[in-house]
Amino acid sequence: MKYRIIHNTSYKYSAPASLSQNELLLHPRRTPSQEVLSCQLSIVPKPQYLHCRTDYFGNTVHVFMVQHPHNELAMSATSIVRTSRPVIPEPNDATAPYEIVAQRLAERRQLIELEASQFVFASPLVTVNATATDYARQSFPPGTPVLVGATDLVRRIFTEFAYDKNASTVDTTVEQVLINRKGVCQDFAHLAISCLRGLGLAARYVSGYMETVPPPGKPKLVGADASHAWISVFLPDFGWVDLDPTNNLIVNESYITVAWGRDYGDVAPVKGVVMGGGAHMLSVMVDVARQEEALV
Amino acid sequence: MSNIDINGASSQKVKPVSIFDLESLPADAYCEAFSGKAQPRKHWQPILNALDAKAPDDLREYHEKTRHMRHEDGATINPFDDSTGRATSWALDMIPLPISEGEWAGIEEGVTQRALLLEKILADTYGPQELLKNGSIPAELVFANPNFLLSCHGIQPSGNRFLTFYAVDLYRGLDGRFKVLRDYASNPAGLGYALENRIVMSRVFSELYHKTQIRRLAPFFQTFHRALIQRASLRREDPGIVLFSPGPDSRIYYEHALLSRYLGYPLVEGQDLTVRNGKVFLKKLAGLEPVEAIFRHIPDLGSDPFALRRETANGVAGLIQVCREQNIDIVNPIGSGFVDTPILKTFLPLLCRQMLGSDLLLENHPSWWCGNSDGLKHAMANLQDLTVGPAMDQSAVVDLYVDSMAEIRTNPSRYMVSGHLAPSLAPTWGAGGVSQCYNVIRVFACATEHGFSVMPGGLAITAGDVETLKGNSPEQQQSKDIWVLSDKPVEPFSMMDGFHAVAEFKRSNDLPSRVADNLLWLGRYLERAEGLIRLLRSVYRLLSGEDRPEDIPELQFLLNILRTKNIIPKNTAADTGLMFYKELQQQLRDALYRKDKPESVVFILRRVQETTRNVRDRLSADSSRAINRLEEFAHNPFSDPIELLDKTLFTLSAFSGLAMESMTRGLGWRFMDMGRRVERALNQAILIRFGLPQVCSGSRNTLQSLLEVSDSLMTYRARYKSTFQLAPVLDLLLADESNPKSLAFQFSQLASHVEHLPRQSERRFSCAEERIALKMLTTVRLLDLTGIECGAQKSQDDTLTPFLECMEALLKEFGQQISGHYLSRVPATPHYTMIPGDRLV
Repeated sequence: MKYRIIHNTSYKYSAPASLSQNELLLHPRRTPSQEVLSCQLSIVPKPQYLHCRTDYFGNTVHVFMVQHPHNELAMSATSIVRTSRPVIPEPNDATAPYEIVAQRLAERRQLIELEASQFVFASPLVTVNATATDYARQSFPPGTPVLVGATDLVRRIFTEFAYDKNASTVDTTVEQVLINRKGVCQDFAHLAISCLRGLGLAARYVSGYMETVPPPGKPKLVGADASHAWISVFLPDFGWVDLDPTNNLIVNESYITVAWGRDYGDVAPVKGVVMGGGAHMLSVMVDVARQEEALV
Repeated sequence: MSNIDINGASSQKVKPVSIFDLESLPADAYCEAFSGKAQPRKHWQPILNALDAKAPDDLREYHEKTRHMRHEDGATINPFDDSTGRATSWALDMIPLPISEGEWAGIEEGVTQRALLLEKILADTYGPQELLKNGSIPAELVFANPNFLLSCHGIQPSGNRFLTFYAVDLYRGLDGRFKVLRDYASNPAGLGYALENRIVMSRVFSELYHKTQIRRLAPFFQTFHRALIQRASLRREDPGIVLFSPGPDSRIYYEHALLSRYLGYPLVEGQDLTVRNGKVFLKKLAGLEPVEAIFRHIPDLGSDPFALRRETANGVAGLIQVCREQNIDIVNPIGSGFVDTPILKTFLPLLCRQMLGSDLLLENHPSWWCGNSDGLKHAMANLQDLTVGPAMDQSAVVDLYVDSMAEIRTNPSRYMVSGHLAPSLAPTWGAGGVSQCYNVIRVFACATEHGFSVMPGGLAITAGDVETLKGNSPEQQQSKDIWVLSDKPVEPFSMMDGFHAVAEFKRSNDLPSRVADNLLWLGRYLERAEGLIRLLRSVYRLLSGEDRPEDIPELQFLLNILRTKNIIPKNTAADTGLMFYKELQQQLRDALYRKDKPESVVFILRRVQETTRNVRDRLSADSSRAINRLEEFAHNPFSDPIELLDKTLFTLSAFSGLAMESMTRGLGWRFMDMGRRVERALNQAILIRFGLPQVCSGSRNTLQSLLEVSDSLMTYRARYKSTFQLAPVLDLLLADESNPKSLAFQFSQLASHVEHLPRQSERRFSCAEERIALKMLTTVRLLDLTGIECGAQKSQDDTLTPFLECMEALLKEFGQQISGHYLSRVPATPHYTMIPGDRLV
């Protein structure tokens, strides 16, 4: 599939802000199932300082500063990507028992296992705790093939937790989500990651977008989409498989990957700090539009 | 004979070798001073002899002197905060800890090797991570360690030096060998206290110090400075190096102020610094000044709230980005706290062989990481003899009351166990005389062009019990100066010449905005305190006379002024009689001592102290001493109020005198004086506006009171030699530019100050504060007071009251303009966008 994604973020300040620093993770990644055809970033007012780097996880990060008084700040990223259906091991139950996977991650005999093992430990926003691990065990009776367990865990989170946009903030913890039984995709991803890590498995946080399809007969509204997040779980001798706990899906070609890390903190699409500015008004608009492929 | 007669005659013959001598050597600890009863170690001999030669009373006096000097220098954690009762950091014990030349050479070699090794480990961890990939260090040490900062990976520090300042705690085991207890790199503490101890010791024991061949500390600081200059290629004459402190709330702020002065690096806080175009700047009144190097005294995790996503007020947003751009040398590079990880040391013996090709010279305190099977086995088998601690995060609290074995088994990689700590004992002087205390020594090293240089000396940290010694509470520990002895004569060398000057970028007559802000408020609070004290003192003087309160007309006048200013309550139950008197006494006590009342003397004095604390590094040592005396006020609630107020007024005057005297007539002085002028002018305007109607309706004696509280009574008498007349009194208080208490005088001073402030435009009167100052001065100069009399009360009300109200409004606006123009404190707000996602319906 070919998509054009527009991701606009803007701030309006009640008083002039004198200095604004921002870090953006908006540039989609190249993956085996995703090709990035273009990505353009535009910032208004024009920043005096702009820097681009590749971070520890291989994501593209832009840092910029607006250093003169400004009343609003608008950041816009327009990307064109081509996706294909990610390869997944089939059938599910042919994957290794989860205990074996955990053991290989603990032994780390291969470099790829060592690299995956950094996603086994607790991270700043994802604690590993007994409650979450107990919750995970119900999907992982002894000997459960790892992908069978993971898909079941994702299914349970989908059915047992309510989607509620007002239930959480960027700082909501895994413990709170477990108690409240509601949240948004960020919370479900953090919970699933905590569950898997508690069992010694490697799980990472993926940020990106997904194409939404309007209800039958209704037109698709431009800008009604949102940034999205899901998880990725490591399978030795195979690689990573992405699962979406919010929608109970194995990630397919309608998902666009932007960045991954240990948790939200590593891949926040837009984070910043502003000097002054008084009260802030934030608005975010995301539009994921399928592009017609030119006939060959 | 002596075998039998154990007391009496024989004990007089066998004179004890030393007052420090021990009855018996401790069985479980090495004794620093003695190798056996009456057998002092050779390198202790000169010190013991010198101290033994003094009478016990003299020693007590030396002890007092040592403590006193430390306090006078302000070497306390938080000298103005008596309410928390926090004590002095690492209080100095007057008995030094000598170390022989030979032993020191061993320490020096060991510390240098360790620093080299740790630097190589840092370079690898923040670079290629070969140690991780080849399994030399476990994945947990990097991936599950909060001391490893992901955002710093890949940064190449200035001069490619990953470790430029290092400290290590050593203790001497029962076998006499030094072992390593802890390593520090994030922001090693104690260097300033080691320096302070040396300064005090060399003064108190000047004869002993200069007779004994003790290696000097100054060359180390010079090496530190030169290496920094060279590494950062700072070839300019006056490089922009700052000392970055969390501010006066730090428990060891004194150390930061001292090092700042000694090294000549301006002391800055997070709000003084800003990042522009990938570079760091210091915010000053005239604009931004580039900073090329930072001697950092805040921890890794507090240094950049933006990159590290931490709620911290102390850091500088964007600092790590500046490091990525290689535009700054930070001592130490951010992320070096990896060295502080407790379990790292257990891997050092192997890493040393692997990376340096030699054996680790300094042994570790025996420790095991539970994250590997051998360590876990050892821990489980010997748990009762071991101390359990956090493996990764030094500051983590280990709470293992429930079932430590089960918890360690569940999360083995989080824990480390270590053997029983038995540090050496050394004689210490306390209130009860000599006692033996445990001690560890903190040794410091800095990077040089070719490797590392170790400071010949350091901070010996002592405590009566091992637990306190192991803890991280400088206020519960004591310290000693370490004397590294030399067999050769020592070259005298000192850096104290520049020590009494305030460290400042010398490029321009300019200062950080935060400092200017505090100085302005210091001026205001000082004036406010003095005015209030003068007013209350007048009231107490009237009350102490023979007359009944209701027979003193001036009293009502003064009390009304107090009521107007909300210093005492407006409504009273009784107007006269005993009830009135009793109630008044209580109200006045409240006005003096009520800590929760913003108008009370004690409250304002507290503000004076707090503000002083914020600019302590700008004030002379003498003036800081004067301010320490203000503490007496709150502690004397039962003394005679008049005497107490007199004394406090005297202290305040001494402080302002010393503070203003020691300041050059630069911007700092101007801001402090502006604060004072604004406050005094406001005070005077309000006083006259409310006082005048009462003067006219009441007795003429009230004019005398008005002059007294304005501190202009003497001037009036000298000038007029007559009874009190309204017109000359008003002229003196309002329009007389030669009277330092008059409104006109304040205005003319303000006008002169604003002329000298840094400005963007060369044109005069182009900014608001200049225009306001001129307007106030012109208005008061044009004020016509001729023929003003109380008889024509109506008419003078018509001219004077609006005039005074107008002046008050202008003064307030003036203050706002100055703050807005030079001192604006802008709050920073972090923001993040959520990832809400979508659930398909």
